[in-house]
Amino acid sequence: MAFAVHHPGSVADAVALASRLGDSARFIAGGTDLVVQINHKRCAPHHLIDITRLGELAGIEETQCGVRIGALTTHKEIERHPSFQGALRGLVEAACVVGGHQVRNLGTIGGNIANASPAADVVVALLALGAEVSLVGSSGTRVMKLGELLIGPGRTARRNDELLTSVQIPKLSPMAASAFVKAGRRKAMEISVVCVGACLVVDASGRCTDARIALGAVGPTVLRARGAEDALRGQRADRSAFKQAGQTAAAHCDPIGDVRASEQYRRLLVEALVPRALARSLSRIMEAKS
Amino acid sequence: MSRVRITLSINGESHELEIEPHWTLLHVLRDEIGLMGSKENCLEAECGVCTVLLDGKAVNSCILLAALCPGREIVTIEGFGNPEHLHPLQHAFVAHGAVQCGYCIPGMILTAQSFLDEIGDRRPSREEIREAISGTLCRCTGYQKIVDAIAAHAAGRGGKRAQAHVC
Repeated sequence: MAFAVHHPGSVADAVALASRLGDSARFIAGGTDLVVQINHKRCAPHHLIDITRLGELAGIEETQCGVRIGALTTHKEIERHPSFQGALRGLVEAACVVGGHQVRNLGTIGGNIANASPAADVVVALLALGAEVSLVGSSGTRVMKLGELLIGPGRTARRNDELLTSVQIPKLSPMAASAFVKAGRRKAMEISVVCVGACLVVDASGRCTDARIALGAVGPTVLRARGAEDALRGQRADRSAFKQAGQTAAAHCDPIGDVRASEQYRRLLVEALVPRALARSLSRIMEAKS
Repeated sequence: MSRVRITLSINGESHELEIEPHWTLLHVLRDEIGLMGSKENCLEAECGVCTVLLDGKAVNSCILLAALCPGREIVTIEGFGNPEHLHPLQHAFVAHGAVQCGYCIPGMILTAQSFLDEIGDRRPSREEIREAISGTLCRCTGYQKIVDAIAAHAAGRGGKRAQAHVC
């Protein structure tokens, strides 16, 4: 365990450093995943690039197109921010079940995404919200859909010299809302056995015009339940449609059995939690309307 | 790897240190400075006994690299209160018999303080308090009295009526 810590003064300097140092370097912010991985010898970087002082990466901003969340935003900041208390509340529901109070004060949204855990609660909520990420590298900036960034357990399409700088959540229509539900073996301090994020859009007659459903811990990455989403579109948004969506999602996901749960149990959880997340989204839409 | 010189602000005092880049803040506090109030246990942010305040917010010092801490204000239990001048929150713990073996208490106190600062002068529900300390484990299982102490202290701050903010 021997590494040097570098403290660049800007995103441009951080990216230039990463480009020069190559695969032996890692960016570090909260370090809640990375330091544990280093201590357990699951990775051994020679250089850590400290991005915690880069003001460019901080802050939550409402724009004309939606909400832009700086990569250094902590889980706790998401939990408490007024922008997420309405239709985007699914994101708060995910952020507030990550680790304990202390980890949520350290861990950042950028790090959580880059760590690419298939069970990452906040990533599930973001995927359901149709989030995009911005990456700045030595060859320029690119914006990609979150789902395209995630390619395997612990693996993303981010190049080593690219820094994830922000996450953008597109503006929801007035008749849309999100929710997040999680099953773990206990209420707090627990990796999800299964978690589900949903974002539902309905029209004035109560018909589902669009839906996004994201699943955690049932595949090699956080993933969308596209079959269930397609089946929901055009249907009346009610209990029976939500139940059907749960069954479709359960049939099409790809869980493994491990120390936390069997494959079969994970499918049962998907079947139960998808309708719950959709129903909560719907009631959130109705609350906002009334 | 060669050592690096850093300056840390701990309990209001400036400390000039030469550290290895991989040292955690917990290691520096205990083994370099001799502040033994922050405890060492799981070393993976599961148990909370290493909790300190970083710019007023509770964090696990066991996974925080000291090299990332220059420019931040660090408060340990030694800077929070002392036997002659206990902090009111510490008084509440004593009054409610919330301290048994004591090992988790520095982390408990600092976690609770961070949580109470976060919610302002609102009075938290017991459920919220339980959630707030969920990352700080007490193996004496004295949670009931710990929650009593935090609730009583929060009420004594002139807190407003509880408004549930439980996810």
